[in-house]
Amino acid sequence: MNRFVEQLAANDVAELGMPGSLLAGPTAAMAGPTGHGLSFELAAGNNPAEFAQHFIDAKSEKDSLIKIAHGTTTLAFKFREGVMVATDSRATSGNVIASQTVKKVIEINPYLLGTMAGGAADCSFWERVLGMECRLHELRNKKRISVAAASKLLANLVYRYKGMGLSMGTMVAGWDEKGPGLYYVDSDGQRLANDIFSVGSGSTFAYGVLDSHYRYDMDIEEARDVARRAIYHATHRDAYSGGVVRMYLVQRDGWVPYPLEDVGDLYYQYHPEVQLTNRTESPLTVVPA
Amino acid sequence: MAPLTEPSAGFKFDNVKRNQLLGDKGYKLPTATKTGTTIVGLIFKDGLILGADTRATAGPIVADKNCEKIHYLAPNMYCCGAGTAADTEFTTNMISSQLALHSLNTGREVRVVAAMTMLKQYLYKYHGHVGAALVLGGYDVTGPHLFTIYPHGSTDKLPYVTMGSGSLAAMSVFESRWRPGMSREEGIEVVKDAIEAGIFNDLGSGSNVDVCVITKGNAEYLRNYSTPNERVQKEQSYRFTPGTTEFYAPRVARQAQEPAEMDTSA
Amino acid sequence: MLSSITQAPVEAHSHNRWEPYVDNGGTSLAIAGADFVIIAADTRQSDGYSINTRYDPKAFELSNKTVIATTGYAADAKRLVEVMEQKAQSYFHKHERVMSTPAMAQLLSNTLYYKRFFPYYVFPILAGLDSQGKGAVFTYDPVGNMERTVYVACGSASALVQPFLDNQVGFANQRAADPNRLLDRETARKIAIDAFTGATERDIYTGDWLEIFTIDQTGVHREKRELKRD
Repeated sequence: MNRFVEQLAANDVAELGMPGSLLAGPTAAMAGPTGHGLSFELAAGNNPAEFAQHFIDAKSEKDSLIKIAHGTTTLAFKFREGVMVATDSRATSGNVIASQTVKKVIEINPYLLGTMAGGAADCSFWERVLGMECRLHELRNKKRISVAAASKLLANLVYRYKGMGLSMGTMVAGWDEKGPGLYYVDSDGQRLANDIFSVGSGSTFAYGVLDSHYRYDMDIEEARDVARRAIYHATHRDAYSGGVVRMYLVQRDGWVPYPLEDVGDLYYQYHPEVQLTNRTESPLTVVPA
Repeated sequence: MAPLTEPSAGFKFDNVKRNQLLGDKGYKLPTATKTGTTIVGLIFKDGLILGADTRATAGPIVADKNCEKIHYLAPNMYCCGAGTAADTEFTTNMISSQLALHSLNTGREVRVVAAMTMLKQYLYKYHGHVGAALVLGGYDVTGPHLFTIYPHGSTDKLPYVTMGSGSLAAMSVFESRWRPGMSREEGIEVVKDAIEAGIFNDLGSGSNVDVCVITKGNAEYLRNYSTPNERVQKEQSYRFTPGTTEFYAPRVARQAQEPAEMDTSA
Repeated sequence: MLSSITQAPVEAHSHNRWEPYVDNGGTSLAIAGADFVIIAADTRQSDGYSINTRYDPKAFELSNKTVIATTGYAADAKRLVEVMEQKAQSYFHKHERVMSTPAMAQLLSNTLYYKRFFPYYVFPILAGLDSQGKGAVFTYDPVGNMERTVYVACGSASALVQPFLDNQVGFANQRAADPNRLLDRETARKIAIDAFTGATERDIYTGDWLEIFTIDQTGVHREKRELKRD
């Protein structure tokens, strides 16, 4: 029988609450305990996963037709006062800066934060789904979800699509009954707990600063300074990171954001000997000190 | 390879395989400027007319809006070039100097077939690696001649020809409008329209029309004969007030401040 | 159900791989103001060195306060706009009111992401008025990453237009300029036009016609202008 008709019949999976699938293609429906009818249309063919990876290679951009936003420095660490989360704000697509104003800290709910590295759409979409799962958990159990459970939910969510080309390196930070929580979750299905994490192309630079200046016993101002310097130095040396430093502190009452700090301004702050001028009359001589 | 030996003259193909491998692995090789081009030529009553657009492209970007694609070969001979800009430029230049020497040696005006033969032998030697696609036209003792020369070295001799990415658009004009024994005015008009067909319908071609009319004992280069693509006026001024741009205050080394008198007596 | 799909519906050619995408070129931009937003796109549709058509509109009204513009693969763009129009219509009839621009923006993001494994090869921008009546511009990547901005350029000439907008709309590299100042309507329009005449000069895939949509309290206003055709 006509294959298309068969598919039509099989695909009355709701797409975002809209009745009936709008396109008659094969779909990867998400079944199981957390399935709420999310269905992804796939390319017809022998191996949809291979197709997806060929055209949307999220790991190496070379030759892939569809380039998705990339490149990042994100970090988070636990300390005496809570969890500090900091990110840059640059998105690159190939060698073009797609945006300097990305929100790489995703506010899952008032007590949980997620960070964005890898495919931007993957992070924001799945952390939005996670936000919904966390709310459902609250309604079902009459108490907030733990950071451990939330991060595991996310890890399980993306593990279903392993090998399909998702690209996501995220940190889930929050506060629960046990105190501050911090987990690393990525699209390979890896989930780790630790005091310090940094993710993205600039993470090596950020780790350099964090490892040499981090102490658990810092006060908030010290912690902010370490986080700010770590992001700043990563943006300074990593071409794929830049923009502004975005910082959040998670404490018992939930997270609070700090004002944004432009890394261009930070440069002049950290290098006071470099002076800018716009003098137009014979500016190229400076009186020796 | 022996160290400190002078490289022998001519092209080297040592790295062709290596570059191919690197290319396959995804490394971007540097790209030469290509003249995705419309070039044409036709024979008319008194001689022949060459035509070319003036756009040079680098990938999707217009690199030069008014380049010259009709190259001088000899007083009685011009040559339109399509393909890799550097190759057309240098090939025609080199052949031009050889033609000058040839004419000095023989004491005669050089024939168009001679130029054609030199070009095709040169291009064949490099098996298409010299990316020059040419329309050669000239008037000698045997009359007007018009040739196309492909990068691999093959040639055609025809009364009306087109080459380059806009060749199909231009040929559609020639096929419907060319006829034997056209007048000079008619010929120029048909050439102009053929080039404009390329300019407007082929994305690799654009801007203006250059024309070159070669008759017995005379060659007339009509640079920018038609300019159908003048830039429109901007909606507003983009002048900045002086001092808008910031720059680093220069740092001066302490030593540099002391006046250093150079000893020039010796 | 997947097991029943054993072969691609399209004949494999050349390199034995199904190549479902083509880049049809074209450029779009949007600039937001305090009480208006401008969104503009050229209408050339091309493939390689050929022009398929000089007039294939890329910008479409989804409602009387939201316009979408798309560049990339024209067939996917057409389908995406169709889907968005269907969804906007069905929302309108179900709720008896026009969907807000931010809601439409999130819907577009989800619509793109639901094809994460077989994406629409498009670079959409969405412009409209938000619930406070301010100009809003939303930009996307092909799989639905979304960001609200003040201005943006997309498509084949984006690398030419975006730096111009950074300087003229975002006041980048201008000493003592207030980067948060919003443009007035006439200046924004002039900058949009100059961006396109400039892009047409240097990008071979941009040209023919320019369509400018201005969205304000009174609705969507369309203007059509000529661009160079070479």
